Amino acid sequence: MKPGWSAASIRVRLTTWYTVVLFLMMVLYAAATFVAVRHEFFEQFDDQVHDDFESAEAQLERTPSGQVAWIGEPHHDSEEEGDRAADVWSTSGRQIYRSRPSVTLPPIAQRTSPAPPRYETVEAGGQRWRTLTGASAVAGDPIILRVGRSEERLRTQLWEVLVVLVLGLPLVVALAGVGGYALARQALAPIGHLALEARRITADRLHQRVSVPNQHDEIGRLAAVINDTLARLESSFDQLRRFTADASHELRTPLAVIRGIGEVGLGETRTAAEYQEAIGSMLEEVDRLTTLVDTLLRLSHGDAGTVRLSREPVDLGQLVREAASSLTILAEERQQSIQIDAAEGTMATVDRLVLREAITNLLHNAIKYSPSESAIEIRIRADRYQAIVEIRDHGPGIAAADRARIFDRFFRLDEARSRDKGGTGLGLAIVKWAVETHGGQIAVDEHPAGGSVFRITLPLGSKIHATGGLT
Amino acid sequence: MRVLVVEDERKLSQVLTKALESERYDVVTAQSGDDGFERATTEAFDVVVLDLMLPGRGGLDILKQLRQRHVHTPVLILTARDGVDDRVLGLDLGADDYLVKPFALSELLARLRALLRRGRPAGALLLEAADLKLDVAARRAVRAGRLLDLTTREFELLEYLLRHHGRLVSREMLARDVWKEPRRATPLDNVIDVQMTRLRRKVDGDGNPRLLHTVRGVGFVLREDEP
Repeated sequence: MKPGWSAASIRVRLTTWYTVVLFLMMVLYAAATFVAVRHEFFEQFDDQVHDDFESAEAQLERTPSGQVAWIGEPHHDSEEEGDRAADVWSTSGRQIYRSRPSVTLPPIAQRTSPAPPRYETVEAGGQRWRTLTGASAVAGDPIILRVGRSEERLRTQLWEVLVVLVLGLPLVVALAGVGGYALARQALAPIGHLALEARRITADRLHQRVSVPNQHDEIGRLAAVINDTLARLESSFDQLRRFTADASHELRTPLAVIRGIGEVGLGETRTAAEYQEAIGSMLEEVDRLTTLVDTLLRLSHGDAGTVRLSREPVDLGQLVREAASSLTILAEERQQSIQIDAAEGTMATVDRLVLREAITNLLHNAIKYSPSESAIEIRIRADRYQAIVEIRDHGPGIAAADRARIFDRFFRLDEARSRDKGGTGLGLAIVKWAVETHGGQIAVDEHPAGGSVFRITLPLGSKIHATGGLT
Repeated sequence: MRVLVVEDERKLSQVLTKALESERYDVVTAQSGDDGFERATTEAFDVVVLDLMLPGRGGLDILKQLRQRHVHTPVLILTARDGVDDRVLGLDLGADDYLVKPFALSELLARLRALLRRGRPAGALLLEAADLKLDVAARRAVRAGRLLDLTTREFELLEYLLRHHGRLVSREMLARDVWKEPRRATPLDNVIDVQMTRLRRKVDGDGNPRLLHTVRGVGFVLREDEP
């Protein structure tokens, strides 16, 4: 394809295709019409020649002198008669009558008699004649009669039909082309409009949307798709913006602390204990930064999809018990109990370390936010397709509005409190990543009796016992 | 003990030198890969600390060449990348251990001690510090003549601290070596702190002089009390 062609607008290409196809169809149609008309004309013409033959038979007579004579109307009185001719031949091949001296039809070649009537087109006097030759008899004597009609008028008529068809065709196609172009332009105009509108929406103006003139037609659906994409883009941009702002805050705060402590420490001479205190404090912030950077790097590995899971069949109950036992000491400090209610043999094919870390994080949160002497309840059950791990705490719960955002990076329910408790604000983001990278889902709900329920749903790898639910 | 430190970052190199010299190592530094390779092949060292990201000849390259030339000095690699692939590649090429930046100096020192100890018996089965005595085989801990009632985890923690007697132990080291967790995480830090508080109550309670100290921002140390 020529570059010029692919560069042409859809409008031009559409019209060109349309016109070419229409032209070809019209040519076919005209050719078929002409062939049919011509066939019909010639058939009718032959009928007329046949009629001439019959009337000629009736009008021939033998004169007393033994000549053959025409007794009907003379041939030459009407305009039409000039186109006609007839002659009579004896069976021995001698011409015995001729209607038109001005036109001489070629001699008859065939003389065998009786022969079936035969149509022939012959050349005479610069014209084509359609003739019918057949056996007949005049007063009992066998003769051969030939009648002829000039095809001249017929051919003129056919020529006229052809001229109309050939001249009319380009005109019709040209008109259709112009009409097609106008239609295409009209139909495609909204797309140009849409493109113009979409181009005006830049990263700074992502809240804008393109207008949807009619949501049910193709253009409307296209506009809706564009708007949908814009909405997602806007939300990604928002998320990124928020993340960048949060990350800067989280990274710069420890840096500011370290800097401040260093500057104050060097400001005037202090005691050894004060220096130790200052350095220790700086190291604590370094620790916080290290954890933060590690976690951020892990999340970005997760985003890039470069984390490889080493999956194996794991008994979820056992996994949860491992996670719980490592945190028991924290629960004990607050006189909390961790109750695990696990359906036997709930197996899932997971990366043990990754999933255990997720569950550990959730449990740690539950311990952190539940009051002393309360219970943290974990239920593990499975149906045919998925395993469900529910972790219920007796904490203050999470407002409905925050539940969707709680897994966002750096989202915090209570800024000051969380930071004091040493969290990075990324714990739940890691949990969400860990669960989703296993093809699972995580959600949080409020328990009717108070507290939050975190629910992890994992696709089942294999199942050892068909427990059919919680026992 | 002679240590070769191949590290191009000047400040880090200085800090490592100071830390190692205070542990009475004889430290030689190399600022570039080529220099490091030159020294490692021409001089004798007990251990090499090798950064992987170096100008000129990279750390992995040096490691490969050393092993090809049958220089079997133990090598500890330092890397900023903690991807499993980098780690495995380094160990495959003949590194003896690795540390991911930023690391605690106490951990680096502990790893070097472990590398130098290699091939020798794992350590005494009877440990003591001041009036604290630990019988590792019998799992018995005695302080000032009194038997301590320790949980398994507490015993392992105390044993680890005793084996690093007088030296700083970071939370990373405890997480990896005592809790056997490959990754350090916030929940585990809290667990370590609580566990340490409980252990201290049992070991240092009853008016005994303090043995277990928290060093702010670094970790813990077991030593006879002299501030």
